[in-house]
Order: sequence, then structure tokens, then C-alpha cells
Amino acid sequence: MTEPLLAVRDLQKYYSEQDSFVDSLLGRDPTSVKAVDGISFEVERGETLGLVGESGCGKSTTGETLLRLREATGGAVTFDGTNVFEMDDDELKAFRRDAQIVFQDPFSSLDPRMTVGDIVAEPLKIHGIPESADGESKREWRRDKVADLLERVGLSANHLDRYPHEFSGGQRQRVGIARALALEPEFIVLDEPVSALDVSVQAQVLNLLDDLQEEFGLTYLFIAHDLSVVRHICDRVAVMYLGNVVELGPTDELFESPKHPYTKALLESVPRPSTAEHGRRVEALSGDVPSPRNPPSGCRFRTRCPQVIPPDDLDIEQETYRAVMDLRDALAVGDVNPDHIWDAADPDRADTEAFIEEARARHIDGELRGEVAGVVDTALGHLAEGEPDRAAETLRERFESPCETQRPAVGDASHPAACHLYEGSDEVTVIGTTAGAAAEADD
Amino acid sequence: MADTILSVRDLSTRFFTEEGQVNAVENVSFDVEDGEIFGIVGESGSGKSVTALSVIDLIESPGRVTQGEIWYRNADLAEEFRGSKPEAVDGDLVDIRRLPKGVRRSLRGPSFSMVFQDPMSSFNPSITVGEQIAEAVEVQRRARSNPRSTRSRTQGYGLGSLLVDSLLPSKSYVDDESMDRAVELLDQVGIPDPEDRADEYPHQFSGGMLQRAMIAQALAGEPDILIADEPTTALDVTIQAQILNLLRDLQEQEGMSILMITHDLGVIARMCDRVGVMYAGEVVERGPLADIFENPVHPYTQGLLGSIPDVDDPSGRLEPISGNVPSLLDSEMPDACYFADRCPKAMTDCLTRIPEYELDGRHSVRCVLAEQEYDPADAVDSADATDAADQEVSADD
Repeated sequence: MTEPLLAVRDLQKYYSEQDSFVDSLLGRDPTSVKAVDGISFEVERGETLGLVGESGCGKSTTGETLLRLREATGGAVTFDGTNVFEMDDDELKAFRRDAQIVFQDPFSSLDPRMTVGDIVAEPLKIHGIPESADGESKREWRRDKVADLLERVGLSANHLDRYPHEFSGGQRQRVGIARALALEPEFIVLDEPVSALDVSVQAQVLNLLDDLQEEFGLTYLFIAHDLSVVRHICDRVAVMYLGNVVELGPTDELFESPKHPYTKALLESVPRPSTAEHGRRVEALSGDVPSPRNPPSGCRFRTRCPQVIPPDDLDIEQETYRAVMDLRDALAVGDVNPDHIWDAADPDRADTEAFIEEARARHIDGELRGEVAGVVDTALGHLAEGEPDRAAETLRERFESPCETQRPAVGDASHPAACHLYEGSDEVTVIGTTAGAAAEADD
Repeated sequence: MADTILSVRDLSTRFFTEEGQVNAVENVSFDVEDGEIFGIVGESGSGKSVTALSVIDLIESPGRVTQGEIWYRNADLAEEFRGSKPEAVDGDLVDIRRLPKGVRRSLRGPSFSMVFQDPMSSFNPSITVGEQIAEAVEVQRRARSNPRSTRSRTQGYGLGSLLVDSLLPSKSYVDDESMDRAVELLDQVGIPDPEDRADEYPHQFSGGMLQRAMIAQALAGEPDILIADEPTTALDVTIQAQILNLLRDLQEQEGMSILMITHDLGVIARMCDRVGVMYAGEVVERGPLADIFENPVHPYTQGLLGSIPDVDDPSGRLEPISGNVPSLLDSEMPDACYFADRCPKAMTDCLTRIPEYELDGRHSVRCVLAEQEYDPADAVDSADATDAADQEVSADD
């Protein structure tokens, strides 16, 4: 395998809050939002790597940080053998020629006071191109070049003197693409280039991107949330969740046999435009994406994962385990109010049995048996006494999952998934005995 | 038409703007049956949201519904107006456009209610979520005791109410009973720990939770027809799946009909029984889901289906529709099929206005291909179409 064009190693980008002088005077501790938290991937020459995930997972931040448009908190990005974060001014300027970006919103990423011709010519001016033009002025040379670029992206050369507001969304996105192509780059970050467009126009732009890649031998990092678009245009795909890459693989393999439970859930959720879709009921993931201010320990996805791994010495159904873990998370953040349960069970607050009964009915579907029932009832007893923290602690002692103690990482295989279900290490062989239950739940 | 709850006929809505008259909705007809989910799909600017707002009588100046009938099945109203407004009554159906304004207003809630696209901007950020839902309950309760007077607090922004509000800050529009009902509604839409969440403000909710809350608010009046305008567009795909499941469950529990507006053909396929496809303000094709998806007749419907990348099958190139969505300014609308300049099968017959053709009773289409085969010899020169598209850009100069 030849050397990849771009290699990202343990890239981190934290945004700091409460970090100002006033905050330090007031003695507030700075908090950080871990937008991107240690991700690694490579982009081969001539390929399209998709970066897919839901809003807030850090995919756009990744794209901007690896182009050094934002200062990285940690990690390294190597472009064509050179570390982008250690480039001096000259190297950086050369890098800026070779690596370009197309932004999501074609309405706000073009200066409304510049003509389309000036917008596309601006990168040429900044980089002093052409160095010399024989026979004609540099300005004329650039004008010809821009006219040529506009035609390449499917606009007309006589659009040169128009302003962005005279164009539709799809046409503006073409202008953005022409601007990115002006410096003949090797690599383009496409940050949701079609998500602001209607489907009929989106298809035009996707076809255009395909053609340009072939014509100029471009390498793309394609950032998107729409899985159908990613499937269509990408060679390989990295799936992100809460600042981590959870799965990475060749597009067909990843879509046909997804490994990570999050990837499976994402694919399952996409509504398909066909009659077979009618009335299909998706087993939707429970809950919301947690805040990146205070991400869950271990595996970031464990708070919503339908295949979260129980302790290996515990005999418990997957669904029940998920419910107990949800209850524990709710207790830990103070989302369970014992007053409401008391009001429903016994307003006099004497009958603890009734309280436990009511709380179980509210939070756990189905029957609890044996040891599990005992521990849950003890914990709910603590809750009845107004001690939710102690209740959460009781549950933690018995129900702690390996998913929360160890953080899984993406390996080096051709299709790795950052999930304890797929680890080949010693711990996982032990977990393997109970992972059977998880696999069954999956069926 | 015993099983039809809503029947819209030849509805047109225009906006009279400074740039000229905009024909946002043009001669739109469709029916919604009892307990079904009817979908309207189209790209931005196709008039689908304006159609929904026209039905619920929420078009504001400079817009106006200029023509059409909106027949709604309601035996009580039919009885009430049979004598005084016979032209507005047909059996159990009443034409709500012909009813007095106060009556039309009283239909919002118990007859029609609406879920909007963006939950973050649809709630008042300074009032708790529970109180805003209770307000909807309260309005319905007061309306029942006095059907023609439904003053809500939003009407009281004068100096008087400012004084009352500042002197009596604890004065609440809603009473405890409505608040209890709001908590029940929040529970019904799957919000955990609803008693506590009811006392929180919108910014404390996630997007998905807030969309659930807005659905709860829409359910307060126990509507016959829920109008959902892009209810999942602002949400991530896993949250979208939750909300779509919820809407289907509620539709079955409550036996209501849903008018679902979306640009996403996947959402249409999952949720809807029948579909109308809109383009440039017109319904260009309408029929049961299977007819539209498997035997689309209108080249626009075909183009729309061909433009979507298939998540299960990446093979093949997309077949986009060329050109751009047309302007809806009356002065620029051609006296021809609005799709002709982008249509791969445009013929000389397309250069007049096209009526709606019935195919088999349930499937109708606004295209000459319903009645004749495509004849390349008769095709409109594709250069004409390109010219038309170019002129459209120049026209903005």
C-alpha cells in the first residue's frame, strides 16, 4: 500500500468554556467540550472517505481542525508526509493550495458583495497566480481561468459578473466548488455539500463531484449525515459518535454487515423510499445523545446501546439489563423524583413495598428474577428514603458493565469497530460467555 | 364520501408581495380519509407548507386564500348551518371557508391542530413547557363552556395586561386541572418523569423531547386531523425514528387522521397511505402509495424518485432533474405546464395549462402522458428548455 495522502492520529479538539479572566477571578473551573476526542483515520490518494454521524458528533470540527482552520488540542495530521500542525508559514501556504474546503451553506459561504468571478478568482490572487502571463494581463488570465472553471462546474461563463443572490442554492454550491477547484488542489474537504439542497438538485451536485474527482484525480473527505448520500459517493466510511470514530470500513462492507451497534441502529433508522418501507417499525434507540461536556465513561455509546454487555457473572436478559442501566443513569443525574412515586404509591409515605412496586412499574418492563430483583429492590428502597445517589451506587456495584470501565478503540484491521463485542483481548473472551445473550437480543 | 374527513377542492393561495403576486398554491385538490395518513411531498417552495396553513386558516397578510373549498365532516356544524348557510353544507360536510371567522377559529384544536418543523423556535422560551401545553388544554376547556370565545393570553399584550402582569406576577392563565392534563399528555408522548419535565423551560429539552412536547400540545384538543409540517426534518435520524413511531402509535390510539407534509420520500413511504406530489404550487400526481412509488406517471415524480441515492444499493448513477425549481411570481409563470422547461418528455401539447387526469379513480395526474404516449417527434426542443432556464436567471437582473 502506498503512503496515504492524509493521516490523522489521535486528533483532539476541545472547546473551553468558563476560561476567561473573569471566570478565573470568580474561581470557576474551566470546563471543556470534547468535540473531537482522539480519532484516527487515513485517506488514500484518489479515494472518497465519508465521515458520517449525527449533529454534534464532531464531524465538521474534524474537517476544519485537520485543515488547521481551527487549532487542534492534540494529535497529529500528516499531509503528504508533513505534519500539518508543525508547518512553517511557507509550508502552510503551500498546504492551503493543496487542500480546500466546500462549506455546507451556499447562502452564507459566498460574500454577497463580490461577483461570482471575483469570488472564484480570489484564491488565485491570494496565491499570486499566475506568476507571469505571456501576452495578456494577469487579470485577463484569471478571468479566462475562472470562466473555464465555471463551465467545468456546469455554470455558464457569462455568469461571471453576477452576484451570488442571483443564483439558486444548487448554482451557488457550484460556485463554491469552482472556488475550491481554482488552485487545483489534491484534497478537498466537502462539509455537508448537499444537505442544504433539494433532492433533484442534490443529485446534480453529487454527479458533478463524481465527475470532477475522475477528471482531476481528487481526494475527498466527505462529511455528511445522510447515509444514502454517503453510500452513493464514498469508497470508505468512518462513523462518528460523540467525538469518537466507532466504526471504519469499506462502504459496501460497512453498509451490508455493520458491526458496531450504533452503525446498525443508524442504518436501521433510515427511511427507505420504497413501498416495502410502509408501516415498518424501527426499534428506535432510546434516549438522546449525551452532552459532550460530560461524556459517559468507557464506551460513549453505552448509555443508549441495545447490546450493552452485562457483568459476566450475572444472569440477566438484555432488555432488562438495558432498563436497569437506564434507571441507574437516571438516578445518577437526579432525573428520578421519589416524591412523584410516593404520591402515586402511598401519599402517607409509609408503605415502602408499594413504593418499590410503583417505581418498578414505572421504570422496568417485565419480570425481575432472583438476584437482580433483590438488588433493584434494595436500590429502590434507598430511593424511597430519599437517597438517589446511594440507590445508583447500589446498582453500580452489582451491574457495572465492562463497557463503562474500558474505552474501546478502533483497531488497525480493514474494517474495525470500536466495540467490546469485537475485541480479541482476554477480557472479551470472558465477556464472550454472556455476549451470547446480546447476540440473541440482536436476532 | 362517507369515509372522507377532509376534502380540499381547487384551493389557491396567493401572496401579494412588493415584487408581485406569488402563486404559492394553485388549484390544489385532495381528500383525507378517516384514520389515514395522507402525505404531501415536494421540494422547497413547492407550496406544501402553505397548503397546510391554508387548511388550518393560518395564512397571514400579504397572503390570502383566493379560491377553493375545504369540506370538513362534522355533523354538529352541518346541523347548525343547514338553515342559515345552505351553500356551506353538503350532507355531513361543511365548507369551512364559508363559515364565520369565529367558528373557523374554534375549529383549531378540536378539529385541526398542527405540529411545526422547528420545535426550538415554536415554543415560547420564557414559559415552562408544561404551562404552554396546559394553555392549549385551557383554551379548549374554556372554548367548550363558551364555544365562540377563546381568548388566550396571547391576545392580552396591551398596557392593561402589562400592569396586571407586573402587579400580580403569580397570576397564571392555567389552573391546576389543566396542568394535570398537560402532565398526562407529556406522559402519553413518552417523556420520562413528566411531572418534573413539565416545570422545565424549552431550552432544557433536547430537540427530540421538545418535538414530543409539541405533539402533546397538538393533542390537547383531541383533534380529528393532525397536520404535521416536516415534523422530523430538524431531527437526527435515530430521533426521527422515535418520533415517527410515536406519531403512528398516537394515530392508532386516537383514531385521528394525519396530514403529513415532508420533503423526504422515505418518510412518506414509511408513514403514509396515500400521497400527493407537489411542484410549483400544484399537486402534479396523487394516489395510493404503491401507485406513486411503483407506477409514477408524471415525469417529475419519476425524476424525484430517480434523484434519491438508495442506501441499500449504491450501483448506478443518479438521474437528476435538470434545471432549477421555478419562480412562483405570477408574472413569470408560463402559460404552459410548469414542469415543461425541466421535463425530459416535454411535447408541444405541454405548452398549454394541463388539467388533472383521473387514471383509475384513486390515481390522478396533471400530465398529458396520462392520455398519450411520449412521441419524440413531437418533442419540444431541449434548447428551448435551457433557454427558459437561462432567462429565469436573467430575469433577476
